[in-house]
Amino acid sequence: MLKVESLESGYGTMQVLWGTNLEVKRGTITTVLGPNGAGKSTLLNTIFGLVKPWGGKILLNGMDVTYYPPHKKVESGLTIVLEGRHLFPSMSVTENLILGAYTDRAMERLNETLELVYSLFPILKERSEQLAGTLSGGEQQMLAIARSLMTNPEIVLMDEPSQGLAPKLVMEVFDTISRLKDEGLTILLVEQNVFASLEISDYAYVLNEGRMILGGTIDEIKDSDEIKRVYLGI
Amino acid sequence: MPFFEQLAGNLVYGAILGSVYGLSTMGLSLIFGVLRIVNVGHGPFIMLGAFTAFWMFTLFGIAPVISISVALVLGLALGFVVFFAVIKRLINAPELSTLLATFAIGIFLEEVAKFIWGPDHRGYSWDIGSIDLSITLIPYSKILAFISSIVIAYLLYMWFQKTKLGAAVRAVVEDSEGAAACGINVGRIYALSFAIGIGLTVASGVLVTLFVPVGINPYMGHEYTLKAFVIAVLGGLASPWGAFYAGFIFGLIENGSYTLLGTIPGVEPFSLTRFVAFSLLLVILLIKPTGLLGGESK
Repeated sequence: MLKVESLESGYGTMQVLWGTNLEVKRGTITTVLGPNGAGKSTLLNTIFGLVKPWGGKILLNGMDVTYYPPHKKVESGLTIVLEGRHLFPSMSVTENLILGAYTDRAMERLNETLELVYSLFPILKERSEQLAGTLSGGEQQMLAIARSLMTNPEIVLMDEPSQGLAPKLVMEVFDTISRLKDEGLTILLVEQNVFASLEISDYAYVLNEGRMILGGTIDEIKDSDEIKRVYLGI
Repeated sequence: MPFFEQLAGNLVYGAILGSVYGLSTMGLSLIFGVLRIVNVGHGPFIMLGAFTAFWMFTLFGIAPVISISVALVLGLALGFVVFFAVIKRLINAPELSTLLATFAIGIFLEEVAKFIWGPDHRGYSWDIGSIDLSITLIPYSKILAFISSIVIAYLLYMWFQKTKLGAAVRAVVEDSEGAAACGINVGRIYALSFAIGIGLTVASGVLVTLFVPVGINPYMGHEYTLKAFVIAVLGGLASPWGAFYAGFIFGLIENGSYTLLGTIPGVEPFSLTRFVAFSLLLVILLIKPTGLLGGESK
């Protein structure tokens, strides 16, 4: 449902992505692995439109959305959980969620999605009047994911959702992502936590210096020499 | 006790003037909060509002209180023009570029104003009587300015709190990338906020004319740029409401200190009030660097 073809982008004069290819199938979890500085976050931010593409193509359900600005991507059913959460800290949990349903696409289903979100994250219902900035790290990450669901997305890009969380919470986040897949969502994940993300993914890619050097089903990737060399040191 | 009567009178006057200070700073804070751009050309927009009031009154006999809406509409339009002509290209530019650009816009407006209207002071008198508070005499025109400021600030507050678009502006202030992830058209919010900020500033210029004894001229804005910066910092820089309250505080300090300084023999109080106001600013910033009313600033 999401197809990225020879995507190029970067910051200023520094090119980060050098013709990156990627395909995400509907209803799956796809992970992009790679060392620090490989361009994983840049890839997600370029797909979402926060970083302007220099060349290549981004297709969403067959439609060319390469140069859509972020708000049009959200209106087309693609959203992002940004690295570092990017919540509205001095607004309440409810206000954060309601703002997630800003587009017409999301407004239509506001009540249903709110119910779904509260059933997925009961803690957010308990804290609905609390300010987002006063939540714990784990709760903030839950809220960031919940807010992205409020946009009524088909596909969610997730940038390091387990970053900075205690091990127990990391597992909780990965469980949540699996459950989102069960709800019918498609997820494109970027993670430092290789083993946990491979555990829940269907497909994986390895990005290195702005190029995809490997891609395939999870079993293929797990068995590949490249992964063993890079991550297991064998 | 004449001293206390004088002090009380000046404090009342300070509160009234402070409301106009507050209103004239809200636009600066709003623009900084949303776009992270410091509008160094703030004062000249106040000057444009002052000339709007002047011409509306002298040509058509329209009362300043009514000219506020005219100035607001003109300011909104001008805000959109300036945004799309200049500011839009500078959203993620280094600070120096935005400082220079807004400084240039300010000078441009002043010079155009001088070219059209000349450099001389002009004034008008809108005399609708005064109310005697026994301690001091307050013209009704200034009381109307006071009420107008509060009404405008309150309406803006309600717009921010109760409307969807207002919530979107608040979201962009708190985290623009987070807002984009929610599907908010951040570029449009930038344009709208800039236009509202300029609209408020031009509108406040109308009220300023009721407080300038020497009249208005194209260069009158500088004083207000300076004061607006002090007030904005007092109010926590990014918060229009902080700015509004800080305007009151600034007005009270400025006028209160006038009375106190007057009791010191050999001191000419008027030239020292600004010194006192800015000294107090320094002290407050030393104690609370985020501004008197500011929470965390990013």
